[in-house]
Amino acid sequence: MSTRPWLEHEILVTVGTGGVGKTTVAAAIGLEAARRGKRVLVLTIDPARRLADALGVGELGHEPRTVPRKVLRAAGIKGDGELVAMMLDTKRTFDELVSRYSPDQESLERILANPIYQNLTDALAGSREYSAMEKLHQLHSTGEYDLIVLDTPPSTHALDFLDAPRRLTGFLESDFLKLMFAPAIAMGRTGFRIFRFGSATVLRVMETLTGLGFLRAISDFLLAFESMLEGFTTRAREVEALLRDPICGFVLVVGPDPGQARRAEDFWARLQQERTHLLGLVVNRVRSWPGDEDAPELGEADAEHVTRWLAKGLAEQGSVFDPERAAREVVETLVRQASLARRDAEVCARLIKALGVPPETLHQIPLFSEDVHALDGLRCMGAYLFEDGGHA
Amino acid sequence: MRKGLEALTQQRLLIVTGKGGTGKTTVAAALGMLAARQGLDTVVIEVGDTSLLPRLLCKDHESLEEDGGRSPVQVAPHLFTLRIVPEVALTEYLELQLKVRRIVRLVIRNQGFRRLLDAAPGWRALITLGKLWYLQSQMDSGRPRWPLLIVDGPATGHGLSFLSVPNVVLDTVRIGPLRRQTNRVQELLNDASRTLVLPVTLPEELPVSETLELCERVRELGMTLGPVIANAVEPAPDLANLEPILAHIARLSAPPADSALLTPEVLRKCLDYQRRRSELQRGFLETLEQEAGPAILPLPYLARAIDSPETLSPLADALATALADWGESS
Repeated sequence: MSTRPWLEHEILVTVGTGGVGKTTVAAAIGLEAARRGKRVLVLTIDPARRLADALGVGELGHEPRTVPRKVLRAAGIKGDGELVAMMLDTKRTFDELVSRYSPDQESLERILANPIYQNLTDALAGSREYSAMEKLHQLHSTGEYDLIVLDTPPSTHALDFLDAPRRLTGFLESDFLKLMFAPAIAMGRTGFRIFRFGSATVLRVMETLTGLGFLRAISDFLLAFESMLEGFTTRAREVEALLRDPICGFVLVVGPDPGQARRAEDFWARLQQERTHLLGLVVNRVRSWPGDEDAPELGEADAEHVTRWLAKGLAEQGSVFDPERAAREVVETLVRQASLARRDAEVCARLIKALGVPPETLHQIPLFSEDVHALDGLRCMGAYLFEDGGHA
Repeated sequence: MRKGLEALTQQRLLIVTGKGGTGKTTVAAALGMLAARQGLDTVVIEVGDTSLLPRLLCKDHESLEEDGGRSPVQVAPHLFTLRIVPEVALTEYLELQLKVRRIVRLVIRNQGFRRLLDAAPGWRALITLGKLWYLQSQMDSGRPRWPLLIVDGPATGHGLSFLSVPNVVLDTVRIGPLRRQTNRVQELLNDASRTLVLPVTLPEELPVSETLELCERVRELGMTLGPVIANAVEPAPDLANLEPILAHIARLSAPPADSALLTPEVLRKCLDYQRRRSELQRGFLETLEQEAGPAILPLPYLARAIDSPETLSPLADALATALADWGESS
């Protein structure tokens, strides 16, 4: 656990499973930093069209877009802070990488024209995560921003993106690619040398099954990557170091669903193992009970009792509607909300216990009943994170 | 176009997909439960590296015997589950193709081949789709052995590259058995009378915008969309006269002593909150209805964690209701 205030980092990474509102939390953090006069970039992965609308930046794309000053002013944000948003495009990031690391024009053209590269960059092990990390590194080294908030791709499994540099370079590093394919191509032959597989039968079998075109496309693809290996590996090491630097903090975002909370425990443990700087846990969309007390436990008998009380009261008022039915509807809503509020409170309490963290590490954001993607909503969300003077 | 449950059960392959966290797995399982209730032999299939379905669909899932992911395992009457493991499917495929186990072992154990597999993108998706094709082609006494396959597909980002792999292969490979077999997979995927893609979403901003993109991509790939399942829709308090009721509640005398927490103020806040939540969701549902194309099937938000057939059953019932409503819609 790191105690450095959130906004005193150069990089904040929001992590978590899908569908928990990571993007919105990342935007709320960014907005708060801008409010405090920082120049902030929010780098998001999700195609957050309406988020872009709310920020007044039109369509979000691969180029950074600055939120217009008048939009910030309208949301009550004064000062010189700047908020920039950008959406990651895996394919474009890879194209940039390939252009940078290709040893020569011929290799570059070969990979860009490869059908497997064109269509399957997304399917390449860890490519989405790798490109997010790559972009982060690139933007951080420009020194243009005081803070970069990275909204990572959702992952079901502990932190795919921490492994991404290793996974990608892992397969590129094995020199089997060179051994297997290079000589054949150097000799200007189509196909590969049989003996490279160590078994004539194996190659013959593969040829029979797939046809040479496919193997050739795959070998070209792998070979082209092989030529860029050095660039990729160096960069991967830099990214790994950056992610473990104290200037880079991690915030785990979870939903109050019991299943998600269990996965959050795994995430947390993995982040600790990886020696990252953990700043806290955001439980998003928590349902609360209106009023000062905890949500009551309402059993069937209680519900029945309250229904009768309410029906009687409504009947006495001489209503134009059916008091019985109205009372039932009202109490159903009430019971439902109480039980959800109790469930969410239990999940939060369990998380604090399971992770062994001080309660103030866990920040609850309520499930808003208004659209949170207007700037006002983001401000409101930020208030839940930073209400104690920025020590979120 | 047919509507209702029948529109789904007369298909051969239903691919359930959507953004992470929308409840794809439980929806796929609930759909399987529903189809099996009709007496149709249904296989619910998962393709990731977690195995969640047996717990959801089998009362006694710990005593299930698997055969390493080769064939569907029965978990309830007419209901089967299967987790497709690409490595296992590949071995099986090679055995079918090569017929000599010794040669298959030779290939599978070859270092060069193994490393190629580690590095090559896309083959896992291809072999998984191939396995689906194989399952739907299996016959038993002149009838399909597996009349209905329901796939709990990967989350959207991966889901789309998953479904586009056959196109890539067909673009790359001009001749040979791989092309022939991929062609058959592609035909299955693009056949509106056999395969439907069912997006699962939530009535919230990002899931809705991602679903709209998904629908567009599915059409571009030449596949057919089934209804979009909107999960976790919150109840709209069905109060025709909500405002006067709230006004009455505000004027009520103090609640009974044992319900001291239930002040008129609390009641008012609860109702008001729920009403606004449901209005907010309705807005996203309307966007979905106007822009997605296919019908929208709403499923209610269920507070209880779903982790067994017993807890899944209410979702299956809700799905049945939504399908029936769709069937009766004009």
